[in-house]
Amino acid sequence: MEDLHIPASNETPEVRFEFSRHCLSMHGESYPENAMSFYGPIRSSLQNYLEKLPADGRVEVNIGLRYFNSSSTKLIRALIGMLDEKASNGPSISVDWLHDEDDDMMLEFGTDLKEEHRSLKFNTVVAEAA
Amino acid sequence: MKLDLFNTFRDTAHENGVIFYYTGVFSQNVIAAIGDSLKQRLDSVNASSAARRKVFSTFIEMAQNILHYAPELTEDDGAGPPAKCGALAVGRNDEEKFFVVCGNPVRMEDISRLHEKLEPLRQMSIAEIKAAYREQLRNEDHASDSVSKGAGLGFLTMARDATEPIEYSIAFASEASGGRADLYLRATI
Repeated sequence: MEDLHIPASNETPEVRFEFSRHCLSMHGESYPENAMSFYGPIRSSLQNYLEKLPADGRVEVNIGLRYFNSSSTKLIRALIGMLDEKASNGPSISVDWLHDEDDDMMLEFGTDLKEEHRSLKFNTVVAEAA
Repeated sequence: MKLDLFNTFRDTAHENGVIFYYTGVFSQNVIAAIGDSLKQRLDSVNASSAARRKVFSTFIEMAQNILHYAPELTEDDGAGPPAKCGALAVGRNDEEKFFVVCGNPVRMEDISRLHEKLEPLRQMSIAEIKAAYREQLRNEDHASDSVSKGAGLGFLTMARDATEPIEYSIAFASEASGGRADLYLRATI
């Protein structure tokens, strides 16, 4: 299936889902007023990809969000939930959750995600200074 | 506005620690633009990176709250199409803590729900706020909530980033002016 690339905008992150290489990444800030209209299509293409992913598939996910607003929060968590559900059926899915060194809130959010999604190889990683 | 009054306005803002003030129409484009200038302003006053992140987050939650709750009104002079209006200020108090305040009209029918959301937060410790935040994050019922786009997390996000309880007040205009109400919020970071 075709890769998904959405360039960053002022209020939305860059999304680079290279399905052909099994590398999915999302970087930047996320505070669209209507988060559903941004994340809805991302969710559908991830869903399509995961449905076709074989049980011995390997996927690398890299998420580095410096900031997200409250309406993006549940939708970002839902993407992790979809990956976790798929990983529980066989595929090896690793998620690197990047956070700034002094950003305790982002680290805490990542740690909570890790706790909740046990089928993923979930790592919280200090982001390199930009 | 007379120049001496403008001077008083500036002095009053300065005395109260205000470093940033905006009043007028709120739209997503306006929020993105003033968000950028707020970031630069926070850099210019040497805010720590933690303070910058929390002030910006609180600013976004309050500004998007205005988009959700403010009714579309025509400005007093009647020019231009109806729009969502409000005012928002960012400053630093005597204890070197940042604050974000906003004021905007709200629909009368939303007032009781605003009370219900804001009042309990004032009594909660930071640990209770974090627990409520986690619970709300896992709560799937918000889909049926047609008013809140923040999925019930907006005020909790503000409370989580604040070092003091979120202050709020609702001011009712006279019946004669159509029974309008204004919501004021203040978060200290």
